Amino acid sequence: MIRTATRYRLLLLFVLPALAVYVLFSVYPLVSSVVLSLFSSKAGAEGFVGLGNYVHLFTDRYTSERFWNALLNNVEFFGIHLVVELPIGLLMAALLTSGSLRRARGVYRTLLFIPATLSVVIVGFLWRLIINPLWGFVKFPLLGDAHTALPTISLMSVWEYVGIPMIFLYTALIAVPNDVLEAARIDGARAWSLFWRIKFPLIAPQFALIVILTYIWTFNGFDIVYALNGSAPGPNYSTDILGTLFYRTFFGSSGQVADLDLGATIASVIFLIILITTAAYFAVLQRRIRSYQL
Amino acid sequence: MRSTTAPLALAVALAVAGAALAGCSSTGTGSGEKTTTITFGNWRTEDAKLWEKDVIPAFEKAHPGIVVKYQATDTNDYNATIQSQVESGTGPDVMMCRPFDVNRSWIQKGYFSDLKGLKGIDGFSDTALAAWTGSDGDPYCVPIASVLAGFYYNKAIFQELGLQVPKTMDDFTAVLKKIKSSGKYTPLALGSADGWQLSYNVLDSIGPNYWNGEDGRLGLIDGSKKLTDPEFVDAVQAVADLKPYLPDGYSSLKYEDMMQLFTLGKAAILPDGSWDITAATQTGLDVGVFAPPVVKSGDQRYLQEMPDQGVGLNAKSKHAAAAKVFLQWLTTTDFQSVYVNKVPGFFSMGQASVSYDNKLAQAFADLKKGAKLTPRLQLDRLSAGTPPLDDDTWAALQTVLNDGVSAEDATTKLQTDLDSWYNPAS
Repeated sequence: MIRTATRYRLLLLFVLPALAVYVLFSVYPLVSSVVLSLFSSKAGAEGFVGLGNYVHLFTDRYTSERFWNALLNNVEFFGIHLVVELPIGLLMAALLTSGSLRRARGVYRTLLFIPATLSVVIVGFLWRLIINPLWGFVKFPLLGDAHTALPTISLMSVWEYVGIPMIFLYTALIAVPNDVLEAARIDGARAWSLFWRIKFPLIAPQFALIVILTYIWTFNGFDIVYALNGSAPGPNYSTDILGTLFYRTFFGSSGQVADLDLGATIASVIFLIILITTAAYFAVLQRRIRSYQL
Repeated sequence: MRSTTAPLALAVALAVAGAALAGCSSTGTGSGEKTTTITFGNWRTEDAKLWEKDVIPAFEKAHPGIVVKYQATDTNDYNATIQSQVESGTGPDVMMCRPFDVNRSWIQKGYFSDLKGLKGIDGFSDTALAAWTGSDGDPYCVPIASVLAGFYYNKAIFQELGLQVPKTMDDFTAVLKKIKSSGKYTPLALGSADGWQLSYNVLDSIGPNYWNGEDGRLGLIDGSKKLTDPEFVDAVQAVADLKPYLPDGYSSLKYEDMMQLFTLGKAAILPDGSWDITAATQTGLDVGVFAPPVVKSGDQRYLQEMPDQGVGLNAKSKHAAAAKVFLQWLTTTDFQSVYVNKVPGFFSMGQASVSYDNKLAQAFADLKKGAKLTPRLQLDRLSAGTPPLDDDTWAALQTVLNDGVSAEDATTKLQTDLDSWYNPAS
């Protein structure tokens, strides 16, 4: 039996390589970007400014307008994923495990997952052609109207990534032991109540997890909007989300001079938003979800 | 926080790679003969072959003893790369200058040597030099190339419908009406999904005829004019008036869609920049180009000439003498005629006339005759703060065309946004 102190030292040794990589590539950039957001590099006002950049972000008429616009758009972007992508993913997972597909199960599972393996640039390009008013099926300019542009882009993203919650919930569903289901059937449960009373409660922790993962993915979202609409996503910023706002501010765009301080400030705010909501979610909700020992 | 990790890591990698590249390139070691190697930093990765095969050999032949190394960085990374290189003392000897505000900040930081007195630099007009002039009024970069904007038109369609190239805005509207009533073609290949396109190729193209080119542009800069003045409101209104002649669903049509619409022969007129000469003629159409029409017959005509590339001398260069010889050569027609003929769509900024082998490029160059030249309205000084007038104009023009916002409301918003940070006195 190894003594406790030695054991901890050994454990530390094993953890160290991963920890070093994590600190170097994740913690350090994160901390340095937060530090960057507390300084100003503008000519004549260099140095530590405390929360000055944050005050500017939330009080400057133009900057705050862009920020709140991007945040609201991001909430909508997440909302559409939440109410469309997750239920469809759950439905697909339930159908795949229902047994009625028999041998075709593998084929369907593969087909439904394929879009998630495609590049966003390809997905965006294909959909843009499909709904192009000149060459495509839809005469209405879906991407050109400020009201429909963001929902359209969100649904493209849903189409692409619906395979992820599907496969996630599918693996959870096939782990539900058969004897539990058989016992329920003997007690007279039909398919509907079998799913909602037995299966779903058993996969609820995984469902809650995919909800929060979707939240994190959409609030870190950037690629599909950038691929379709560039870094000043129009029309008139109606598809601007936090990721594109950050990119435009930090790296500059055609006419916009890059502002590293404000960019770092936006990055830190995005991080805080995700951190706080995720922590709250786990503290409040995840704890109430019971997991059953089987 | 994936979004911050990746860019930072990338920036670090770039800086290291860039510094390493620059460090080893500026050492001229000629065995026996004494040669000086100068490096030429720029963002034209796509022109590397042309410079290395045609342009630089021509220079080296005329100036033995000087070797020029072409050192291109992708255009999106160029500004960051140059900044980190010059500040760490490893910058190229000569480097390309961005027009206006970016370059002005570089001059201010002392990146460049003053080029006052360089032989040949006085062969350029003040407007050509304006994009690269310091606050002291001295030139800091040799202007190499500019781009123009105008209206491409399909000659076959014009012939079929018996149309003449419009000279005034009334003619223009009449032409557009006629094409529309023929029912066979879309009058204008123009979509509003790409805001920059509305701004650079439409407003900044027809607008100067309303705001009298430099009068209006410099007036905005020195504060004597406002965007709410009638000449600017009318210009935005002129853009709004094009609405009936745009293709169906124009609000979601992008730049590529417009180009396809035109090159497939489905649209008669394409407002675009000269850099698309090759793209616009790729399907073998017979294409002509006409200048933005004047408001009333007899008015002075204005044409957008946007400075695109200049070359300046690194203040810390160890080979300043050789670098100056190279810069001097860039001011000559020897260089200009080679360069602009290899990249159709880019134009010499010198006053000596240069002939162009490409027919359409020559037609574009001919538009300069009798016209007063002016760069894009938004890019000089007016976009150096937040919100930049540039991006702001893109969005404003989209609201005018897509949501029916009036020209008065749009220009009022632009002026209010500009007033929130821009101080004409400075």
